[in-house]
Amino acid sequence: MWGIAPAGDRALLVTLGETIDPTLLGQVLALDRVLNDQRPAGLLSSVPAYASLLCRFDPDLTNAGRLGEVIRQVEGRLDASIPTRPVVDILTRYDGADLAEVALRTNLTPAGVINAHAGREYLVYCIGFAPGFTYCGTLPDELVVPRLSSPRVRVPSGSVAIAGRQTGVYAVASPGGWNLIGRTALQLFDAGATPPVRFKPGDRIRFVPAR
Amino acid sequence: MIEVVETGRYTSIQDRGRPGLERFGIPTGGPADWFSAAVANRLVGNQPDAALIEVTMTGPTLRFEREVTIAVTGAAVADVGDANWRAHRAGAGSVFHLGRVGPGLRSYLAIRGGIDVPLVLGSRSLCGVGGFGGGVGRPLRKGDRLAVGGMVEAAALQEPWSASHRLAMRGPWEIHVIPGPHTDAFHESVLHRLSATACLVTPALDRMGVRLDTPGLHLDGAEALTTPMTAGAIQVTTSGGLIALLADHPTTGGYAVIATVITADLPLLAQARPGDTMRFREVSVTEASRAWRRLAGWLDLSA
Repeated sequence: MWGIAPAGDRALLVTLGETIDPTLLGQVLALDRVLNDQRPAGLLSSVPAYASLLCRFDPDLTNAGRLGEVIRQVEGRLDASIPTRPVVDILTRYDGADLAEVALRTNLTPAGVINAHAGREYLVYCIGFAPGFTYCGTLPDELVVPRLSSPRVRVPSGSVAIAGRQTGVYAVASPGGWNLIGRTALQLFDAGATPPVRFKPGDRIRFVPAR
Repeated sequence: MIEVVETGRYTSIQDRGRPGLERFGIPTGGPADWFSAAVANRLVGNQPDAALIEVTMTGPTLRFEREVTIAVTGAAVADVGDANWRAHRAGAGSVFHLGRVGPGLRSYLAIRGGIDVPLVLGSRSLCGVGGFGGGVGRPLRKGDRLAVGGMVEAAALQEPWSASHRLAMRGPWEIHVIPGPHTDAFHESVLHRLSATACLVTPALDRMGVRLDTPGLHLDGAEALTTPMTAGAIQVTTSGGLIALLADHPTTGGYAVIATVITADLPLLAQARPGDTMRFREVSVTEASRAWRRLAGWLDLSA
């Protein structure tokens, strides 16, 4: 059963699960599509992430109860398949500040870390945190390392990073607590573009080592 | 034109922000204290969407090349005299010094016509983390020059804003919250115990959020799967502290949210200063709605 709970007085958070799982993401994206197609009265916008969807509403036009009912009606009835899209290569220079530390922690050589990271396809699970930040998963077991014990004040834009079972790309310079293993020149955020981000949840990517 | 002669601690251009772009990781933005900003625009007869200047702790010094009508609201500013919660004409060539701010943390300077900087993604607000908007993509600096726009909708108000239609700008703060959304992550007694605790506002605050300590109360926070966040969300961190989110909050977060500040009380959260104490009190959605209507009514009544 989905969790449907008020997030303050003008939003509802739908929690579909607690794990990083392509099936859950498929359901989140399907719910997001249905709501944006049907546009129930008072729904202003929605924000998808991994296994949850935030629905912002206008309290003059609807309320959490009414919107929650609309959502309950589609529970279990969604086509949760993620449309297949071509895999996008992200050319990456693996010279991140934490590459050596990650190698130590994982008992791999730096080349082994690169091979493990670049050798697979990832699913984009969420664009969040900061403009264009691209959350992807999931990492192979051998690359799972915790976040940094104290976050950096500034991580350069384009940084390719890992934390837990996730890998991601910092689209703009921001504070950050993930382990930096490389950097890409691919622009993931452009305030002047429509849409302003390069990726959306459900996209497939691959990191390709730059020579 | 308006010339920035000196900048303050963190001075930025804000309008009503970019709601609806959170799915791209773009914060909603807009004034941290939406009510004081709305009053400032009302006083000078601006449209609600007009951009104004948000000031934090210390304000800028500005030189007006032409005569302008201005108003200052929000946290008290000792030096602004006639512009304090009222429309005031500042002559051509005059220099306007905002100085120290307080009690309260953030003041709003509206200029009749609004600040005319380019719209980026539908808004003139500075997005600090994205480095765009706000005219220059960063807080204002000495030497910046700002144009005045034409976003007026009414005459400037003649009278000062009624003192009975302003929010208190001084702690101890009582902030109303709706439980959750992550009520399941906490034992039900936790919010009760939190409500009984005088939380302490720490110096770690900015437009993204406010860190609070909970003296005498140990909270067990947990990392959660990354989930969307809202302004007012009170996250419990793994070290047991609280982070209450403001207008520029990261669109997603990884800590469970014990309760969410109601829209009507976000201005109070934005005005709390380091060292202030704050208590959270649980209310119903109906009470939250009543509190919002009260403020909306104040904005309408003075039309």
